[in-house]
Amino acid sequence: MADTGIVAGALLPGMPHLLAEKPAQCWADLAAAAREVGDRLRRLKPDVVLLLSTQWFTVLGHQFQCDPNPRGEHVDENWYAYDYGELRYDLRFDVPFTERWTDHVNKAGMQARRTRYDGFPIDTGTIVTSALLDPDRELRWAQVSCNLYADAETLADVGAAGAAAAREAGVRAAVVVVTGLSSGLIQQWIEPHSDHVSDPGHDRWNRRVLDLLTAGKVDEVLKIREDFARQAQADSQFRALAFAAGAGATAGPAQLHAYGPLWGTGGAVLSWNLP
Amino acid sequence: MSRVFRVPVAPARSGGVRRYDTTERPSAESAPARAGIVAGVLSPHPPHLIYAENPPQNEPRSTGGWEVLRWAYERLRKRIREVHRPDVLIVHAPHWITMVGHHVNCVPNPRGVSVEPIFPHLFRYSYDFRTDVELGEAIADEATDLGLVTRKLHDPRVRVDYATIGALHLVNPAWDIPVVSLSANNNPYFYSEASLEEMEVLGEATRRAVERTGRRAVLLASNSLSHLHWHEEPELPEDMEREHPYNNHQYRWDMKLLEAIRRGPTAPLRELITEHIEATASETKAGSLTWMLAAMGWPQVPGDVMGYGTIIGTGNAVVEWTPEGGHRG
Repeated sequence: MADTGIVAGALLPGMPHLLAEKPAQCWADLAAAAREVGDRLRRLKPDVVLLLSTQWFTVLGHQFQCDPNPRGEHVDENWYAYDYGELRYDLRFDVPFTERWTDHVNKAGMQARRTRYDGFPIDTGTIVTSALLDPDRELRWAQVSCNLYADAETLADVGAAGAAAAREAGVRAAVVVVTGLSSGLIQQWIEPHSDHVSDPGHDRWNRRVLDLLTAGKVDEVLKIREDFARQAQADSQFRALAFAAGAGATAGPAQLHAYGPLWGTGGAVLSWNLP
Repeated sequence: MSRVFRVPVAPARSGGVRRYDTTERPSAESAPARAGIVAGVLSPHPPHLIYAENPPQNEPRSTGGWEVLRWAYERLRKRIREVHRPDVLIVHAPHWITMVGHHVNCVPNPRGVSVEPIFPHLFRYSYDFRTDVELGEAIADEATDLGLVTRKLHDPRVRVDYATIGALHLVNPAWDIPVVSLSANNNPYFYSEASLEEMEVLGEATRRAVERTGRRAVLLASNSLSHLHWHEEPELPEDMEREHPYNNHQYRWDMKLLEAIRRGPTAPLRELITEHIEATASETKAGSLTWMLAAMGWPQVPGDVMGYGTIIGTGNAVVEWTPEGGHRG
């Protein structure tokens, strides 16, 4: 394992159902898996965790969170009527590292944009992830937005810039990407116990992708990513994986901790190189 | 069961009695007699337009920009105040994205600061407006009756999005007309399009609710047209030297749609809107324009194109339709 640079990676869904007070069993399994990944991630004691959530989507350049301590309450605009739609957050961002990362993105010819505004709406995926992985706020995050129109190669370059920043700073960093798999939502108000992946074809695609990742074949997944996006409505075209791979966080076989439905979408908790 | 409905519905009112002070609506002598949908407006919402106007509610300051579109909105404001004199503005906006169902904001007095996650440097807006709760609930009920999945928002802590605020501010910066805002049922995590068939149903539900409650309503479809845009921004966001159509293909398709609108009637737009979305990634894919024209019964009239311009390369037009096709003011 490298002394500095990227030392581990994780991929998990950001749907708030993972925080439900009375969850479906599949939601509870995913949440327990995320908490286990969090325990192991904190055991690594990374200096910083690079974070990309597909739910913070932007369209101009690549936005970086430069508020050292966003905190407050976020009520989700879709899930507000459920207990898990009401979210509190208190996040710690490593701003000096983030500045270094933005410099690397700019040097690579992309536009990095710094974001620091009171009342800035932190996305649901980031809040859910931080609550599960880091309930006691021990980790320091560095977050970039998910540009809606950036291609996978560009997001890989943004991830690579983060890895370069970590090596330059001489720090040990982990990468966390918050993304679903298939994103075909059930268009009904359902009871948790009736949740299921909305389309059997989506389920087959999700399992195919997970089989490849646990076999260490991330490059094959990247090759079929566009088909996965088209045929299973993959969350943000599954470009989050390209970001993680570009950062060098997906070396070797992934460990699959859990897979299951989240209101019809597919969610999985995966990790790479955690102790 | 994990669902918790926390906030009670606003107090019920006796049917047919209006909730707003008489000072907030036209006097009995001057009020136009006819209720119903009196106009529909394609009212694009890019935050640049509010940023350029420098209203007191928005924190960032600008040196202007995008004047032609803003002048179109100024003319529209005059028509709304002097001709249409609505009881309510009903807005359908693509950035209140609800992944499940069609939601109606039934919070009586939404207020707060809306910091826009994509353009936070341009849009940090303090909003404080009143909802026509009775009409909002009626729209949700009618939509449910027509088979749509719906939900009434009663939680005042949900941030109001910039597409809702943008269209409403640009049409009525005084915020002295009650509002109903509707969400866009969409999936933000892949490139999905709203079901335009469902938007027709939502339009029908809106029309029925307006007629049942006796409101005089102006509808706002908060959509841009062609929607490919620059991915980077100049140092001065309002640098008009950098503002032009994304490409000629996008521009020509916008003109094709607008020429058809100017010719009227609206029925051929049903097909053309779909073709325009396919050709230009038009923001009308969120369904707002289809909802509005369906609510108006696809009127047999031309629309009045009051202005067109680009914003970071996207096409934007302010267009007004009236049921009879008359445009005054």
